[in-house]
Amino acid sequence: MSAPAPPAPAAPPPPKKDTLTIVFDGKPIEVPPGINLIEAAKLAGIEIPHFCFHPRLSVVGQCRMCLVEIEGIPKIQAACTTPIKDGLAVKTTTQKVRESRAANMEFLLINHPLDCPICDQAGECKLQDNAFGYGEQRSRYDERKRQYAGYDRTAIGPHVVADMTRCIQCTRCIRFCQEIAGTGELTFLDRGGRTLVWTHDGKPLANDWSACAADVCPVGALTTKEFRFRRRVWDLKKTPSVCPGCNIGCNISIEDRDSVVYRFLPRLNPAVNDYWLCDYGRFLSESLNAREISKATVREGSDVRDAIVPAAVERIASEIRSTIETDGPSAIFFLGSAHLSNEENFLLRKIADHIGCGNRDVVVDRSRVRRMKSKTEWIEGDHAGANYAGARDMGLSPGPGGHGLTDVLEGRWIPQIVVVADASFAAAADDAEKVGRLRGARFLAVAARTANSLTRAADVVLPAASLAQKEGSFTNVQGRVQWFQRAFLPPPPARAHWELLLLLGVALGWGDRNWTPAAVRTQIREEVEGYDEVTEQELAGGGLMKKGLFVSTGAV
Amino acid sequence: MKSEPVLLARVGRERSQAIDTYLADGGYETLRKVLTGGWTPEAVTEEVKKSGLRGRGGAGFPTGVKWGFVPKDTKGKPVYLLCNADESEPGTFKDRLLMEEDPHQMLEGQILSAFALRCHTSYVYIRGEFFHGARVLQRAIDEAYEKGFLGENILGSGFSHDVTVHRGAGAYICGEETGLIESLEGKRGQPRVKPPFPAVVGVFGAPTIVNNVETLCCVTHVLKRGADWFAKIGRNEKNSGPKLYCLSGHVNRPGVYEAPMGLQMKELLFGDDYGRGMKDGRKVKAVIPGGASAAMLTAGEIEDCPLDFDGLAAKKSMLGSAAIIVMNEDTCIVDAATNLAKFFSHESCGQCTPCREGTPWLHRVLSRIEAGEGRAEDVELLEKISNQMGNGITLCVFADAAIAPVLSSIGKFRDEYRYHVENKRCLVGPRAAVEAVTA
Ligand SMILES: Cc1cc2nc3c(=O)[nH]c(=O)nc-3n(C[C@H](O)[C@H](O)[C@H](O)COP(=O)(O)O)c2cc1C
Ligand code: SF4
Ligand code: SF4
Ligand code: SF4
Ligand code: FES
Repeated sequence: MSAPAPPAPAAPPPPKKDTLTIVFDGKPIEVPPGINLIEAAKLAGIEIPHFCFHPRLSVVGQCRMCLVEIEGIPKIQAACTTPIKDGLAVKTTTQKVRESRAANMEFLLINHPLDCPICDQAGECKLQDNAFGYGEQRSRYDERKRQYAGYDRTAIGPHVVADMTRCIQCTRCIRFCQEIAGTGELTFLDRGGRTLVWTHDGKPLANDWSACAADVCPVGALTTKEFRFRRRVWDLKKTPSVCPGCNIGCNISIEDRDSVVYRFLPRLNPAVNDYWLCDYGRFLSESLNAREISKATVREGSDVRDAIVPAAVERIASEIRSTIETDGPSAIFFLGSAHLSNEENFLLRKIADHIGCGNRDVVVDRSRVRRMKSKTEWIEGDHAGANYAGARDMGLSPGPGGHGLTDVLEGRWIPQIVVVADASFAAAADDAEKVGRLRGARFLAVAARTANSLTRAADVVLPAASLAQKEGSFTNVQGRVQWFQRAFLPPPPARAHWELLLLLGVALGWGDRNWTPAAVRTQIREEVEGYDEVTEQELAGGGLMKKGLFVSTGAV
Repeated sequence: MKSEPVLLARVGRERSQAIDTYLADGGYETLRKVLTGGWTPEAVTEEVKKSGLRGRGGAGFPTGVKWGFVPKDTKGKPVYLLCNADESEPGTFKDRLLMEEDPHQMLEGQILSAFALRCHTSYVYIRGEFFHGARVLQRAIDEAYEKGFLGENILGSGFSHDVTVHRGAGAYICGEETGLIESLEGKRGQPRVKPPFPAVVGVFGAPTIVNNVETLCCVTHVLKRGADWFAKIGRNEKNSGPKLYCLSGHVNRPGVYEAPMGLQMKELLFGDDYGRGMKDGRKVKAVIPGGASAAMLTAGEIEDCPLDFDGLAAKKSMLGSAAIIVMNEDTCIVDAATNLAKFFSHESCGQCTPCREGTPWLHRVLSRIEAGEGRAEDVELLEKISNQMGNGITLCVFADAAIAPVLSSIGKFRDEYRYHVENKRCLVGPRAAVEAVTA
């Protein structure tokens, strides 16, 4: 007999991992804790079809579409509700899984109208996609289909229209209202095969984010009154942008076709608006299509004449030059805007600096205070302009000894020239008394897209672009600098505000005609405190907290 | 030979509901013994485990083991005990009798169980239609408070307990324990995702035990006469204790009968102490042994068929709620299956796709066959739909329950289905006759 082997040295405890290993169809992948199998599979590049699961709503396991096989468990399991554990081996391609998915699709479709050609959700419908991906071609259902008479084509709130015959009872909308909006307007009525979604006691679905219920609805059961049947979604082009509605700066997709904006959809940014938009901001989309100022105009005595843009700009420049000669630069007032980009506000301030004028300001408009739920917290907006913080950061406050807007509006100071960089959005623009104060100047120049008392009072009006028609960045209430891209060009001769401002700067002997917003950003980086780390890549990635606090915005 | 009744001992006596008669029969002595006789909650749980008592609500889960699932450390949360008195399984009417005739027997068991669980608040979730039962129960609870069996510092033991009666609003699914919990919380009655199980996260987010009325009644007797006595009753230690059987259908004497667990089905149907044979001397065609959710048995299968958990599991059916529904030879099996399918279609809560869509589909196809519009492929279709709904792919076992009568009736009476499809009428029963005359 051989000597007993020396006791094996105690195995060192395995190093504590902060990720879990999940094996999907034989391929191991490391995933962070706290996610479920559907999200983990997504990280592995595997799609687990599902309906009721939504990353920000409670997990209810109701649709039974996400069935997978798990090694060691005989019964097929719902991926969304399976507690995630290190070493779990998941099979998503077995015959049993395929059959279960096909069976579930059959059940979902037996009572579904299957009239996708006349359904507004077609093209962005999870039912359509999953039927195509995982269903059978034929149904064995030969009975009458269920209908919800009286519950179709019916508005259940100011924005949302219900077509209950299309509902697949996934409860996402109910959970959105309960868990995110916190208002709980929606509920299931009845039960079994007669289950439908409706509002409690017929009260309207009227929370501030109500259209998100239509966003989370995977099918055409909830759609918005504003967008319904206006365009097939595959015809629309998506452009990343930022909501102009307030200084929370929700990330949006502007969806247009042939230079007409049809809708805003939320663009995922967990740090700002997550998957959501407020109704106010969302339905500003239509306002981008307004175009009342389509030409430059110059007032000659009592006549208002059309002019070409360069000539109109030159007229402003010559007025500025002569005023500098007669009264000095401090007789001029530059009004920027919380609706203009950082780049534009920066250009305006640089022009003022160039001529040595410290009279500059932005309109403070707290008429709109909105709330938005990010992934982790509620964000409070406190300004009606998306770029209030940015406009201030760019230096649009009175310089030393300079005058501000209240000095003008309260009659303490009457400038010779007033340049309003964005007349369309200024809150004072339709207030007769305030316009009167601004008009007290000898010469009033504005850039605008829509007409109001201010544009009608102006001596020179320049046609400006909408949000969809230009590129730039906004800084939101958190201090997050976010990029918006151009969806389409403004209709000539209208131009982006930054182009108009560059024309003016060049006419006054400053700046370069060939600068782009990106080139202006380079200067902002060099000159404006806190903006030095806002690189182009980071802007494209979902926004950077100025002062360098980076928040990742990887998709969930 | 009929054994001495335990659960029904007091049923039928004059004023059996009143606390004075209960006390005269030795009622609440067990509670006094346990609360003031130095018993620990653990000792009570241990005794119940030893008795082999299995839940009488349907699943037959060992009661003491279930109690043991409540975490030792509840993180400051209370523990709740819910008495499941929703009794909605078709063919089941035993809990109603227990509550209406001897409510204190159940209450005593409920307080004892609460003591074992260190639970200070329990609820009785009673089926909404049991209006009388709820009144009787409430009166009994009031009496128990008066006599100091409920409330603060019961019998000076330092243990306090409150019981509240909550009436349901008419949904079968609220008998499923997590559906019951949702309903008790004031929400729509629909089952929850499990895990977490109620013993860990139940009502109001706290550890919760749900027990059936009859189970709680049994607890009283386990503690009164000891686990060993209880365990000896019945066919074996895994199927122990006295049991109530709800006999209905084509027998001479339907009703609730008590017998030791494992009574032979034939004895229940034909014994003098029980059903006394088939009405009008007809033959047995099929028997549903455990409520609508249990697979049907044929006349052949009821030979040597002990009515207990394992005896019926061996026949691929279940004891369930011990509702024995007897069908005679004149019963059209398609008609019976259609009737059951209608029930399940009506009662599905509707959250899971296969159950919400499958139950009405089954009902429609069955109705079509029953109405003489069946097609050759329909029987196979029924089986396929059922198989797509079952095998535990849904949130609760309702879907599996719904397919049991369909699959078992097709499996055991396939020829009758085929006859129905081919001849567009019933093989047996009144409709067969009418059709035959008019055809
Ligand atoms: C659809 C469905 C209905 C049920 N209905 C009842 C019922 O009416 N009464 C009952 O006691 N248990 C019912 N149960 C069983 C309960 O979920 C639970 O298992 C039982 O109340 C536990 O008590 P026990 O351990 O004492 O048996 C039902 C289960 C299902 C799935
Ligand atoms: S309306 Fe839409 S989101 Fe709501 S339950 Fe129906 S399918 Fe789901
Ligand atoms: S909260 Fe503000 S930024 Fe967000 S969608 Fe509404 S208006 Fe737009
Ligand atoms: S199986 Fe049926 S009853 Fe049970 S939760 Fe699902 S839909 Fe509801
Ligand atoms: S996504 Fe898992 S059940 Fe719906």
